[in-house]
Amino acid sequence: MYKTVEKILLEFDPEPRNILPVLNKLSANFGFINEGEAQKVADYFSVNLTKIYETASFYDLLQTKKEPPLVVKICSGGNCATENAFKILGVCERFLGVKAGDDFNPKKKIEIVSCLGKCAEGPIMIVNGKIFEKVKPEKVSEILEKYI
Amino acid sequence: MAELKIITENWGKINPQKIEDYLHTGGYTALQKYLKEINPFDHLREIQEIKISGLCGRGGAGFLTGQKIEAVFKEKSAEKYFICNLDESEPGTFKDRMIAENNPQLLLEGIIILSLIVKAQKAFIYLNGNFEKAKELLEKAIADATEKNFLGENILGSKWSLEIEVFQGAGAYICGEETALINSLEGNRGEPKHKPPYPTQSGFLGKPTFINNAETICNIPWIILNGGKAYSQIGSKCSPGTKLYSIGGAVARPGLYEAPTGITIAEAIDLAGGIKKGKEFWFAQIGGASGKLVLEKDLGERLEYSRDCKIPCGSGAILVVDKSVDIHEMLLSWTGFFRRESCGKCVPCREGTFRLFEIAKRLQDGEISERDEKAIQDILFILDNTTYCPLGKFAGVAFKDALENFRDQIFKKEKS
Repeated sequence: MYKTVEKILLEFDPEPRNILPVLNKLSANFGFINEGEAQKVADYFSVNLTKIYETASFYDLLQTKKEPPLVVKICSGGNCATENAFKILGVCERFLGVKAGDDFNPKKKIEIVSCLGKCAEGPIMIVNGKIFEKVKPEKVSEILEKYI
Repeated sequence: MAELKIITENWGKINPQKIEDYLHTGGYTALQKYLKEINPFDHLREIQEIKISGLCGRGGAGFLTGQKIEAVFKEKSAEKYFICNLDESEPGTFKDRMIAENNPQLLLEGIIILSLIVKAQKAFIYLNGNFEKAKELLEKAIADATEKNFLGENILGSKWSLEIEVFQGAGAYICGEETALINSLEGNRGEPKHKPPYPTQSGFLGKPTFINNAETICNIPWIILNGGKAYSQIGSKCSPGTKLYSIGGAVARPGLYEAPTGITIAEAIDLAGGIKKGKEFWFAQIGGASGKLVLEKDLGERLEYSRDCKIPCGSGAILVVDKSVDIHEMLLSWTGFFRRESCGKCVPCREGTFRLFEIAKRLQDGEISERDEKAIQDILFILDNTTYCPLGKFAGVAFKDALENFRDQIFKKEKS
């Protein structure tokens, strides 16, 4: 774990190809990229702040907003879809009272994500980074209860 | 004849963390053979071998590797780059992740040989951002190989050097497209660029760049050891070799299987133990979310890369769907995927995928109107013909096939 942005920047040369790795580490370490940190990154690479946000906002794994304490991700790839992924999504939506994709609730969020390459173990559900494999629709509320 | 396995032969037998295990199974003999027979002024023999082998790209498009390598080789630039495309995010495909997790040294050997042929001094492995385990294993493998001097300065006493770096992406499907991948590597948004110039002429930092799928690279050591002619005898005529098939859905044993190209779809499903007990075959989808649907009557089609085949092999993913599945959920899965992953550069794809997703949602809710029915045809036509890169072109393929074959099930839904 890193305490400051500078510690992360020290590990990289200021070449454009290091922008994405730096942002990756920043997002993983601090949860999201805030403006102050992004400005420091921009100064280090001698580019505009907009350029940093332009890159950061494109990628799914980089967060530019603070994540709520409960984030549920459900894989909707073809294989998981044949194994009831959308029924699991329905149970989650009813249980938590938010719709997938809405991010106005400060406490919880449900996200549909693209295939994670774990197709043989589907359907996949990720709660706050912990991966649950072969989830059954009737077990969903049992899993979610631990996180509330 | 026993099943010939080129890539998966030693999987499970060797420890992916130990380079010694790989050396025991004859690892790096291809590199040694290549360096011994090398003529510093003429790499054309190796290129000829690869051309004779007929090896074609395993990422989905099936472009001939021999042609690509010749194009990069002919460029007269002092600086060249090599990129291994491991940004695998096609739904239902997990072959490249399994390669990196089961035998990373085989991948490295292939990268080293190809980089030396085109005289690249720096190679990147562009890894999908979600593959944490693969990243650790690859970095360990690179450190081990450098220690044994298969990598780094003056490889095995020769005058060539190579550095390999693992570059982790951040979860964007479009970065599997080669120009988008280069954009992402340069620190930009992963949007595709116009071709030509092709990356073989002007790629990473404007220098000639040789981009290959990880599975393609893994075939190279075998070709160097056994010759291109032997390779061209395996599998189908137009795209020889073996292929990794990721088979999932309603089959008895979902997983990854290696088999020659040119086997029929029914044979591939049998590899995975056939249809699961108690389930009834409805249709199969070949090549992930952008792949075509296959009904029972077409199960005899061969899986190969050719311009005039009915079912393109794509990434080699086979999804078997049984009759208990709701077609509306599949439509949501496909359209939702392309809506999320469309990069937003061109309007037809950005808007088309979004509207298609909205219509799929309304179909699910049983609120479809006459206007939507007409709009679907327009959207599918525009996606097919006017988008900037192949992502948009393939976004409507599965939807269109489903509409042709299961029109009644799609539109006959009671309002829920």
